[in-house]
Amino acid sequence: MGLPAIANLCSHLQNASKARLGLTSAPHTKYNLKVVLALQKAGFLSFVTRGGATPPNPETLSTYEPEPLTTANIARQRLWVGLKYSDNAPVLRKMQAISTPKRPITMKLPDLERVARGWDTNGRVNVRGLNMGECLFVSTSKGVLEVREAIERKMGGLVLCRAGP
Amino acid sequence: MSVARPARCLLSKRFAAALKPATPTCSAAFHSSAHLEARKKQRFKSIRAEEMGLTSPEKVQKYTEENFQPYTPEEIEILKKHYSPDQMEALQAGEAAIDPTDLTIQGRLRKDPYKIPYLDDFSRLAPVVDKRPKKQHSPPDFNKLRWLSEEEFMNDIARFAKEADAPQAKAWLEGKLNDPKLSEEQREWVGAQLAKVSAQLERTKGLEGKDGDAEGLEFLLERSMLNDDNAPSDSSIAPSLGKDVPGIAGIYQNPIDPEDQGLDDEGIYQDLKRRTGLSVKEMTSLTVKVLVVRMVHNQTRLGKIRSIWVLAIAGNGNGRLGIGEAKSVEQGTATQKAKLLAIRNMKPIPRYEERTIHGSVTSKFGATIVKLDARPPGFGLRVSARFFEMFRACGIHDIAAKMPRSRRPMNSVKACFEALTNQKDPNEIAIGRGKKLVDVRKVYFGGNVL
Repeated sequence: MGLPAIANLCSHLQNASKARLGLTSAPHTKYNLKVVLALQKAGFLSFVTRGGATPPNPETLSTYEPEPLTTANIARQRLWVGLKYSDNAPVLRKMQAISTPKRPITMKLPDLERVARGWDTNGRVNVRGLNMGECLFVSTSKGVLEVREAIERKMGGLVLCRAGP
Repeated sequence: MSVARPARCLLSKRFAAALKPATPTCSAAFHSSAHLEARKKQRFKSIRAEEMGLTSPEKVQKYTEENFQPYTPEEIEILKKHYSPDQMEALQAGEAAIDPTDLTIQGRLRKDPYKIPYLDDFSRLAPVVDKRPKKQHSPPDFNKLRWLSEEEFMNDIARFAKEADAPQAKAWLEGKLNDPKLSEEQREWVGAQLAKVSAQLERTKGLEGKDGDAEGLEFLLERSMLNDDNAPSDSSIAPSLGKDVPGIAGIYQNPIDPEDQGLDDEGIYQDLKRRTGLSVKEMTSLTVKVLVVRMVHNQTRLGKIRSIWVLAIAGNGNGRLGIGEAKSVEQGTATQKAKLLAIRNMKPIPRYEERTIHGSVTSKFGATIVKLDARPPGFGLRVSARFFEMFRACGIHDIAAKMPRSRRPMNSVKACFEALTNQKDPNEIAIGRGKKLVDVRKVYFGGNVL
């Protein structure tokens, strides 16, 4: 499932932004890739690219071509992501996994609607409502979506993590 | 510990870094920041003045010629007008005695922005820095000293009154002197009188501009009752200072400012007025409240020293709030200090629709956690008493607050203030994310919200 990797990714990105790093890397897994792409779409990350053990040169990033994936190099591939800072503060300050390998949490549309409005869920699962500027990422059959997009498409799914300033 | 370890440390840290420039190794370069050692390395070599050629004889000679030129004949002519021949001789001997090169090498001519604005100016006395010169007076002849007799005392009063009236008399005499109707003889007499009065005024210089009461008081307190012609006494009771004490005259001003409209006759708000730019009227119209008062003790070997600690808040009811804390032996002093500090520390509080806060905020101060939540219009202030005062002072009308843990008064107020000031700014979030954030309430009501 790759869920432990999500929890690790959350902690790592949080730590990296606390250390004010410009770019950092995460293991290259399918779940990680989906989550960081969703984060970039939500505006938390400046870029996402695949690379080796050394970071891509930031100056030539726009024309950077990652090496083709082969069975020989796939184990050494990492996801390189750029962290954003605004007004001397990290844009992504808090990131927390919701589903864990021990307890995957799925939510249907009515629950997601409540959480997106800022209300806590009632009943089966316990997820706090979203605060100002927070995002919730849901893994659906259409890929990993931000909660507002999932509601727009009327889809529920596995709630991966929440991210916020 | 093995013997090989120190050698390995040496090689691995400095020498290895010097041999091959930092190529990120595969081992632990999963982020782009430089290693700590790489960051610590100095960017520039320190270069001595000698290596830059600043201490060569030519450079020294050039600097000396630029900065320490001898007097020109014209300057000497000017100096001669101000100094006696003896002084001039001494000046020139001094000039000849000092080699300008020594000045270059040993002298300290300051050029920094904090230099003292003079080299040496002995023409005037600087208050505080310089010692005030003592007035020289010979001690009275104790053999002849005695109390004034009744007749002498009356004469003394008359003389004092005359001295006090001297400025008026001088003005009158000056007017008379210009009178064309006076005969030559009369004019001479007036001239003589005028000279007398002027001499008297010269003697009593520095005492002008006193009103009648002050003069009477001065006569009682400061006039000598002995037949020493009012000479300065060596009494342990020092005479009071005159109005125009040299070196201090004009420096201190009366704190009462006519702009304050009589609101601050004691000068309490003057410092604050200068710091904050608020007028006294504005400051007195602020909501200022004391929220916490504590007795605190300092345990010394002589016993407990009790003081009062006060925490006050100040707000303008329109988005500004400050807290001030002060300690004093007297409660009144502590309260006043805390209130003034609260006004001084006022900070803008971000408000949503000028009635509540942006989202939920949590703040921790000590063991106290304060959670503030935004609430819809008309919800009111459902909070504890101290928070109620705080929110009312800064103009928040709908809010809920929770303190799940410790509810100590001091920490709760501080935590609440921290929470209010550390709110996230929605505009800042939007800019950081590069997204457009929309206030849904505003859209729903067509912009008809505050």
